Amino acid sequence: MYNEVFDKKTPRKAYQDIITWANSLPYNTLIKKKAEAENLFKKIGITFSVYNNFDSSERLIPFDMFPRIITKLEWLEIQDGVTQRALAINAFLRDIYNKCEIVKAKKIPADLIYMNPAYEIKMVGVKVPHNIYSPIIGTDIIRTDIKSFKVLEDNCRTPSGVSYMIENREIMMRMFPELFEKNNIEPVENYSSYLNDTLKSLAPKKCDNDPKIVILTPGPLNSAYYEHSYLADTMGVELVQGSDLIVEKNITYMRTTQGMQKVDIIYRRIDDDFIDPISFNENSVIGVPGLFHSYKSGYVNICSAPGSGIADDKAIYAYMPEIIRFYLGEEPKLSGIKTWRCSKTADKNYVLNHLDKLVVKEVHGSGGYGMLIGNSASKSKLNVFKKKISNNPNNYIAQPILDLSSVPIFKNKSLSPRHVDLRPFTLIGNRKRKLVPGGLTRVALKEGSLVVNSSQGGGVKDTWVLKN
Amino acid sequence: MLSRTAENLYWTARYIERADSIARLLEVAYRIHLIPNTSEGYLNEWESILSAAGIKESYLNNYKEISKNKIEYFLLFDPNNSSSVKACIESARNNLKMVRTAVTLEVWNTVNTWYHEIDKYDTEKYDTKNLPMTLDWIKKQVNLIKGTINNTQLINDGFDFIYLGIFYERADFTARIIDVKYYILLPSSSYVGTQVDNFQWSIMLRSVSAYRGFKWAYGNSQIDYTKIIDFLILSELCPRSIFYALDKIQHHLGRLTKFYKSDNKAHRNIKAIHRGLINSSADEIIEFGLHEFLTKFIDDMSTTYSDLEEVYFLGIDK
Repeated sequence: MYNEVFDKKTPRKAYQDIITWANSLPYNTLIKKKAEAENLFKKIGITFSVYNNFDSSERLIPFDMFPRIITKLEWLEIQDGVTQRALAINAFLRDIYNKCEIVKAKKIPADLIYMNPAYEIKMVGVKVPHNIYSPIIGTDIIRTDIKSFKVLEDNCRTPSGVSYMIENREIMMRMFPELFEKNNIEPVENYSSYLNDTLKSLAPKKCDNDPKIVILTPGPLNSAYYEHSYLADTMGVELVQGSDLIVEKNITYMRTTQGMQKVDIIYRRIDDDFIDPISFNENSVIGVPGLFHSYKSGYVNICSAPGSGIADDKAIYAYMPEIIRFYLGEEPKLSGIKTWRCSKTADKNYVLNHLDKLVVKEVHGSGGYGMLIGNSASKSKLNVFKKKISNNPNNYIAQPILDLSSVPIFKNKSLSPRHVDLRPFTLIGNRKRKLVPGGLTRVALKEGSLVVNSSQGGGVKDTWVLKN
Repeated sequence: MLSRTAENLYWTARYIERADSIARLLEVAYRIHLIPNTSEGYLNEWESILSAAGIKESYLNNYKEISKNKIEYFLLFDPNNSSSVKACIESARNNLKMVRTAVTLEVWNTVNTWYHEIDKYDTEKYDTKNLPMTLDWIKKQVNLIKGTINNTQLINDGFDFIYLGIFYERADFTARIIDVKYYILLPSSSYVGTQVDNFQWSIMLRSVSAYRGFKWAYGNSQIDYTKIIDFLILSELCPRSIFYALDKIQHHLGRLTKFYKSDNKAHRNIKAIHRGLINSSADEIIEFGLHEFLTKFIDDMSTTYSDLEEVYFLGIDK
């Protein structure tokens, strides 16, 4: 395992000050600060909800106060890599919903696209404003050795977690202001205004006024509702629910105290299926009837575009290097992870024979649900997955079990290493791209665990990108 | 502003004001309870506050007998009572959560913190000895929230919707509590003007925290039916009077019409009711019939609320 903080017993250069600080922190101060921080999170209402749980009430996401540090050099590598991917993903989406040159060039199998449940046939030929399908991309990055960062997953539908990135920083600055005086840390608080600029640059064709942006949320019961309201608040835009919007003669309006007001850009945080009961899932009560027609007629932009999800499909992921080469003519700057697609017979056989050495994921799964980690699974669970894979191979991919790098957490009176990942958020607007120097570090709180998702007992850390 | 936002702010404020009203009602009952029972024909004071809060029926659906402890619990914490103080806080917080961006972080914090406190409070082990402290705590929290609203909110249309909620609730509550006095507490009209009657009126004054105010406004004179009606309905000095609430409602609706540069029937109808009150006297009200007057007032207010809803909360073009 690669320890990001210690090289054998000596702290690495970037961490030297922090280790001295952590070691000199009296235990009771630590306890007090921890309680204070939790109290702040609770008071501000930074909570998330967990699905598939009897107790659907609000939970606090566990916050560990030992920061994760990324040096400037490391950050530049990440920044170039995720920006490259974000550009390639948008070019890919534009292509597969229009000319499909990548299929014609036989760089990617046709059925992987056309037979893919995430491929939205209704989007074929639709003119997407400025050809940006997915303006906000969260890339999950891991590290297994000192040499390089690797991409574990792209999230280009409605990635969440950015509010934690900002609030973790706020809380840390309140708890330990002295750390920020000494260390040269890049601020992350500009994210909301960057997001505002990015969305504003994506006005639809039939908008000749200063574009009106809204954020569309499923409502307070959604697990990321806090984030939706946080972003709306800091961007100074309305947070709307489906019932607040109304489409008349293909124009989208919101209901206000002064009657109907035109809306131009919707940053939607609801899934494709629920956007519009007329065009998509007819049972959706959180969507807006007629919205998709308004979108197609160029009166409103929906970000991300319906059908964007195919680009973060776990089976497409295996082709990411091809996609980058094809559209950008460049070599991928960040490598991916070897992926076996069970839809291929040879791959499937390999996976079934090496199940105890692999991570198996559902192609469309997320949040750490429905996943198998072979080396720590019981015999019966392995057998269950064997059956599942044999019955429906197209639904699964497998990857090697990666030894994620570690950063310590405060555990009782000492520091104890835990596995982490990193999710930076890339913004792609019309002719501009922005990346806040930072990201969300998720940490598996259970010793030895590799699952960092908050829904599976993961926590978060403040992430520092150093200025020099 | 989104229509839903306006509506949620309005209801948040109503629930907060309602929590305050319930605490004050309980205080009245508690006070009567401590005074030796002088009353002839007096209905149980605990029962009467259930009527005042309009939840007697729902109480009797849950409990067989009228008992002090159970009523306290019912009004403060009972999950079966959708207008208990706890339920009010929860509703206020849920409404506010839907429109988090429309209030300052400080306002959200006061409401959210209170919600967490009341949620932590072990209501199953509620001890009736703590009633005075609990009531003080509730009133203090409400004042804290209102103060925070005053000191931190932007004075924009959202502010007006919050205050419309507060004063609609207050007008309604004051009207109801006077009506309860008239209709429920006093068993027969032959008691009007007697000692029992006057004693009950003084209790009413206390329930709206206006006992001392009354003394200051009218000199230390005998408590008298006509003066109290004047004070609770028509006075511009009493912060709990119907007139004062109407005055505030008119003020905030007036601000909205200016802000939005368009007049509407909600504003016009409120102005008419306001004018009516200015031109009334306590004697005229008594002659008209207090109960009839209050019933008409409550009806009129509910009509103006429908207007308000239509104009601001539906969000469609007229």
